[in-house]
Formats: sequence, C-alpha cells, structure tokens
Amino acid sequence: MTDTSVESNAPTVPLKDLDDAQFQELYGTDRFTATVLSSRVRYIVDHMCTGLLNNAFSQILRDWYDFAATISGPPAQNYPMSAVSNSLALFLGTMCDAVRNTVEEYGSENLRPGDVLICNDPYRSGTHVNDILFIRPVFVDGEIISFVSLRAHQLDMGGVVPGGFSGTKRNVYENGLVIAPNLLYRDDRPLAPTFNLIFDNARLAALLLPDIKTIYQNLLLGERLVIESVERYGVQAYLGALRYSTDVSADAMREGLLGLPDGVYLGEDGIDADGVDDSIEYRIRVRITKVGGRVEIDLSGTSPQARSSVNGTMLDAKTAVGIAFKYLIDRHTPFTSGTYRDIDIVIPPGTVVSATPPDGAVFIYWETSEPLLHAVFRALRDALGEEAVGGSFASLNLHNAHGLTDDGTPWLTACQTGGEHGPWGATRHGDADSYTVFYTANNLDPATEAIEADIPGVILRKEYAPDTAGAGTNRGGAAVRKDTLWLTAAEHFTSPLHVRAPSGIGVHGGADGAAGACWIFPPETFDVREQKRMLGTNTEVYAGSVPVTGVLDPQTKALDPAGEYFYFASTPNWQTSPGTVFRYLTNGGGGWGDPLRRDPERVKRDVRDEYVTIEGAYRDYGVVITGDPRFAPEQLVVDLEATHARRRELLARRG
Amino acid sequence: MHTDVNPGPRVERQPADGACPGCGKAELSRYPVLSEGGWYQVVKCGACLHSVSRKPWGLLGPITLTSHGLVLD
Repeated sequence: MTDTSVESNAPTVPLKDLDDAQFQELYGTDRFTATVLSSRVRYIVDHMCTGLLNNAFSQILRDWYDFAATISGPPAQNYPMSAVSNSLALFLGTMCDAVRNTVEEYGSENLRPGDVLICNDPYRSGTHVNDILFIRPVFVDGEIISFVSLRAHQLDMGGVVPGGFSGTKRNVYENGLVIAPNLLYRDDRPLAPTFNLIFDNARLAALLLPDIKTIYQNLLLGERLVIESVERYGVQAYLGALRYSTDVSADAMREGLLGLPDGVYLGEDGIDADGVDDSIEYRIRVRITKVGGRVEIDLSGTSPQARSSVNGTMLDAKTAVGIAFKYLIDRHTPFTSGTYRDIDIVIPPGTVVSATPPDGAVFIYWETSEPLLHAVFRALRDALGEEAVGGSFASLNLHNAHGLTDDGTPWLTACQTGGEHGPWGATRHGDADSYTVFYTANNLDPATEAIEADIPGVILRKEYAPDTAGAGTNRGGAAVRKDTLWLTAAEHFTSPLHVRAPSGIGVHGGADGAAGACWIFPPETFDVREQKRMLGTNTEVYAGSVPVTGVLDPQTKALDPAGEYFYFASTPNWQTSPGTVFRYLTNGGGGWGDPLRRDPERVKRDVRDEYVTIEGAYRDYGVVITGDPRFAPEQLVVDLEATHARRRELLARRG
Repeated sequence: MHTDVNPGPRVERQPADGACPGCGKAELSRYPVLSEGGWYQVVKCGACLHSVSRKPWGLLGPITLTSHGLVLD
C-alpha cells in the first residue's frame, strides 16, 4: 500500500499483543510510562478547561461550557490529537483537523515561542465563526513538540444578527467576521492589528476582551504543564505517548468494529427546513459499508446545501460520524484522532452537511450534526441488536433575544431560554436521562438564577412532559417543557429544526419519543403578571397562541401528529411586547426494548413521578394502575390481573 | 411543501485497474476520503475496503475558499 501518512507507522497487531521490547521500540518508552503520560495530557486539557470555566466572564463560557481543549503532536507526526477535554464534543472532533489546517496554512516554520495563532473560518476549521480556535505551539530545544489549543465561543463576531445564532443568514458576508490563520500574540505580546480586526467587527467587546485574556492564560497553563511533563519524562517518551494515545483509540475502534456484522447499512434523518421558507425538507443520507475492522461512510445523496445558515461543514460531518461510532461501537477509550483510523468518510461537497463558501452559510451547524448522528444510529440499529442506542431530542431549539431594559441598557441572551436541554434515548443499561444537551454536545445547563440576574426574563417552567418519552423495557427520556416570561419588549431568533417527525427513535423493539413544538403566548391571550398564575398545560391553552413551530391542529394549535406543520422562521425575528411567554416542548427520547416487558413496578414509579400518565401506562405499557399520582403518589396500585389481561390483548393485536 | 427526494451531490468513484491484493477482486476505485490525518485520495477495494494506496490530498479537500487564487505580488 502506498501510504505517506504518519499513521502507517502504527502497530499492525493489537497493542495488548506487543511485548515489552516491541513496545519500547515502537514508542520510545515503556508501557507504564506511556500510560502515565497519556493520562497526564488528559489531565492537562481538563486543567486548562477548569481554569477557563472558573475565570470566564461571558455566560456562554461561564455557564454553558461552550469550549474545549486539546493537545496535538508536532507536524512531523501529522498533528495527532492525543487528548481532548471532557467538554463540547462538536468542537473536539473538528480540532484534530483544524489545528493541522491552521498551522500548515500559516506555516509551522513561521511560528516561534510566545505565539498564539487563531482561526475561526468554518471551512478551514469547522463549527462557526463565533468559535475561535486559539493555538499555542509548545517548543522544547527550539523544536515544536506539541500544540495546546482551546476553541471557545465568543458571544459575538459581527454579522447581521446580534450574537450570531440564527439559521436565516444567506451567505458568509451576512454571517460574521471570518479570520484566516492569523497571529494574536507574538513573543507573548498582544498584536494590536488582530485585536482591532476582532473588536472593530464584534459587539460586546467588554465581555470578549477579558474572555480572550483568560483563554490566553490557560494556554500558558497548558504549555507550562506540557513542558514540566517533558522535563520529567523526556521528549522521546512524551512524543511516544502522544502516538500511543491515538493508537489506543484506533485499536479499540477496530476491535469494536470486528463485533459488528459485515454488511451495507442505510440510514437517513434530516431537518425540517432552512431559514428561507419551508419549501424544502433537507435529508441526510448515510451508506455504511463495514468489512472486518474497516468501515466506510458515504454521505452521497444528502440534500444540497441549504440556502441559509443551517448548514454544517465537512469537518462537522466527520465529527458527527466519529461521535456516533464512539456511542455505538467503542465507548470505553478516550476520543482522539486515532478514533478515525479505520473509518473513511466519503463526503460530496455542497450538501447540507458539507457546505462550501460563499453561499453555503454555516452557523447553527449542530442542527445537521445531530441528525447525521441519528442517521448512523438508524442505519446500524438492527445490526447492533441490544447494543443499539435510542435517539435524542435532536434539535437544540436555541432561543436568542435582545432588547433594552427600562433604563435603556441593552441586553442579549444566547442559548438560555429555549429547548436547549432535553432527553436522550434509552440503552440496554437503563432508562434515559431527560435533561441534558444532545449527543453531539456536552455542556452545562445555565442556572435559572444566573439567567434571571442577567436578563429581563423569568423562567416559569422547566419540567418533564408526561407521555412524551419513547416507551420501552427501558424508557427514553421525557420531553422538556420550558416557559419563559419576557418582562420587556424583545426581538427573538429561534431555531427548532426537528419537529416534523419524531427524532427520538426507538430501538430493539422500543417506541419512538413524541415530537415537540414551540408557541408564543402574547399578554393579550394570557397575562401571567395579571393572572398571577402559571400558563396551563392542557390542550385548550394553545388556541390563543402564536405557533412558532410544530405539527399542530390548525384550529386548536395543540399537538396533532396528523396536523399541519408550522414553519419556525415564518417570522424570521419575532417582535414581542412585555408580558409575552415563550413555551418550548422538546422532542422525546427513544425507548429501548419491548415496553410490554417493562416491570409493572417500574411503570408505576414512572406514573408516580409523572413521566407517564395512568392512561399512558395502560396504552403504551399494558399496565393497569389505579390511584391519584398528583395527590396520593405513594398509594398508587398496580392491578396485576388486569395488567396480565391487557398485555395479552396487546400481544394478540401484534399477531 | 416540497419534501426533498432528489438525490443530492454524489462522490463519483473512478474505476482503477488491477485486482485487490487483499481479496483478489477487481473492484478497485479511486476517490477522496476524510479520515485520521485529514483528506486522502485513495484507491480502495469496494469488496473488502482494503486501501491499495492513500495519498494525502489538499488540506481542505474539495473546498475552494472565497480567497482562493488571490495573487498579492
């Protein structure tokens, strides 16, 4: 095989089969030291992240953890990404290529100690323009031995939408400032031209500047810890350990793939529409060919790139595929660039997951990343059998708004009050969680108190909606219902992109979760402040609402799977008066296993905890429960005889 | 509402001469892939996925930047 890549030096036998001499020859150190150093670099990136989290100024870093750190090897090793932080997975996957692309374009020969190199171009480095990649070369004896990197979201990067979060931007010119590989620091001194470039274009400078200074300090921390490691163990051992870390990931993925039956598997998922109109539903298609320990994922046939900023880039597609295979095939070793060693991805340019400039605008890229992951989940669910994993709520349902307080002070909220957190799908190990960010992300949930201290919004509800979780032997996560009252006039951008059909796919005989929606309740319909009570949750309350999105009955505006699709950007930016309430209902997570095999006592517990109603228990699980879950939750009773009869009836209907 | 059912762009695989040294089948083809280490132009066997060759491609694969071709000197 003609292969000029460094990965071709990787071992051809499983790592566990290497004897001590072979290991020493391959990595320049012993197995124990390599393991210690592998753990050490993971410690370093997490330490960098802790430093940033504790000292960040903007809410998007401080409360959301919208950043990630990695350590990569030198150019001579082809930049192996050996350690990633326990944070935003969408960032981590792109950073292995983004560091290489940025350094190679700038020229590694042009770097010197004390530099910080940056890039935010989605087509060069993945994700979106607000995510600046900060790279610090680490020199030892005049040679680059590593790069410590942080990719961190900046609250604004210019463009036509304050904060940037919108699926309605048409091209790169509307999207925001694009920074090609460029030095931010030289000789550990800030370079004014680069700072001016950012701050002459970006809003919210008072938050961005201290955030960037904090990021810089944590790059210095990472650099110092790497150099300390080299001083203790030597350069040869350090560089060997970087390769060893990636080889561990490759080894484990190959081993996992061997357990999957050979074959060709097809899967598909998608998004409801773009930000222009609802005339096109975009589909993401995967064809997975698996033979032995190798796999190829071909995205040919995926819909052409969207007309507005709902697209993702090729590096985001690679990330989503890698995350999917980590969930399904190898869950036990750290994610590194070696994860992809036996995974080839075939990506046609110009699709909704592989957009190209200048018209393939990219901003809310994760809205296609999660469906791409789901397409892989769908493709492999039958082959995986009981190892299959249920689907999540799929869309982050981001809510972004801005306005002025009564004294004229501008305010901005990003990703705090929509349906950003919701349910996952169940696995063979148990029920799914109902409140987290979806599979391709990994962030915090901003505290309600912090949100309400920052902006004129009041979080009225943050609760699970009954009978929305996919039924199963193990239940999917329940949909999250979230109400926010806005105290001032405001302009809102919202992007729920996956409600036409349920996203929480059921697996191994489990049922799908329910589809969600979003509504606006103007104060003329229901004024929380005058009524001094919460907006209800019964079907009747929706009649006076303004639907944002959902498949709804056009008269009652309540959820109706046979109803009409309401398009999320029918009004690109929603103008509301003081006293307006936004309600988000996320999709439900998918169930795992036959619901008729769920222990009736577990169903009773779900009724007690209001994940499932008494009617839902009867309909979906065949469990007959009597009592009052709201006012006498501990007195609920399972009627075992009636349950056996009901389950026999449901089984007979299946034929 | 038009649900997109039209196939989107595809990666065309160019047939390559020879038989696979892994499985012996004459199903070799040439096309770009994204994998560990970035973009490669590969010649691979469609039957067993064995790579006969993997040559590093451009850093950004098939992407043409808006600034591509800019001449400053």
